[in-house]
Amino acid sequence: MKQHNILLALGLLSCAPFALAHNPVCRCTNAAGGTIRCVGGFSDGSGAPGVKLDVIGYDEKVLLKGKLGADSSLSFKKPKGEFYILFDAGPGHVVEIDHAAVE
Amino acid sequence: MNAWIDASPWRRAWLRWRFHLCLLILLVPVCFFSASMHEQRLDSGQQGIGMRELPVKAIGPWSVRLAEKTLMAPTADGAAGHVKPFVAAFCQDCVPQIRAAYLRIGKPRNLRAAGALFYGSLYRTEAYLVVPPTLKQADQIWLTVEGWDGSVHQTSWPLAEASPVLLDWFKQQGKIE
Repeated sequence: MKQHNILLALGLLSCAPFALAHNPVCRCTNAAGGTIRCVGGFSDGSGAPGVKLDVIGYDEKVLLKGKLGADSSLSFKKPKGEFYILFDAGPGHVVEIDHAAVE
Repeated sequence: MNAWIDASPWRRAWLRWRFHLCLLILLVPVCFFSASMHEQRLDSGQQGIGMRELPVKAIGPWSVRLAEKTLMAPTADGAAGHVKPFVAAFCQDCVPQIRAAYLRIGKPRNLRAAGALFYGSLYRTEAYLVVPPTLKQADQIWLTVEGWDGSVHQTSWPLAEASPVLLDWFKQQGKIE
C-alpha cells in the first residue's frame, strides 16, 4: 500500500508540467459534397463542444456563425470566394485558418 | 549475519551504501541551484523583463517594452504546434488605461484574431506566442493593445529584430515561404 502511494505521488508529480497552459487546436478538411469539416479542441487533448466557429469573408463579412457539436466538429458548405475560418474559444484562444490552408 | 553473507554482491553493496546514497541524493538540488536562481531572478524582474529586451516603442498614446522571455527556440505544445514566451511591460501611466494586449505573427485581420493574450500584471505581462506552421518573408510580430475606452492600437517588429532565435528556427525547419 505504501509503495502504491509513493507511485501515485510520483505519477502526479510527473503530470505537473501538463497542467500548464493549453492552446487551441483546429483542423479543417475538405469533405465530400463540397463541404468543409472542422474539428476543434485543445492541445491537452480535450475537446471543444459548443465553441464558436465562424466563417468570415476577406471583407470581414461573417458568412457563417456556428458552434462545434458534441463531437467537437462542424461541417458546412464551402462558401464561394476568399474566406477564413475562426475557431474562437475566447480572447487569446483563437485559431485562424485561411481557405487556402484547408486540407 | 547469515543473510548478509548469503546476499549477492549487489545486495551487499546496497545494504552497505544505501544511507550514503541517500545523502548524495540530498546534494542533487545543489547542481540545479544556479539555474534555479537564474529563473527566480528572471521571474522576479531582477534581470529585466526578459532575457532579450527590445528598445521602448510607442504604441498609440502608450509605450511598451517587449522582450523574449528566454533565448530558446519555440517549444512543442502538442497539436497546437510550437509556442514561444514573450514578455511586455507598459509605461506606468498607461497601465490603468489598457484593457488587453495580444501578440501574433502576421498582421491580425481583426481584434478577435489578434493572437495570444497577455496575462498577469501589465507592468510585466507574459504571452505564449503560437508559432504559425510557415512564415512569410514579410511577416512581423504584431502587438495589438485594446484600451478601456475601446480604442485599438498596433505596432510591429520585424522577426529578425524581435527574435533572431525564432527566425533561425524557421530557417532551420525550412518553413519560410
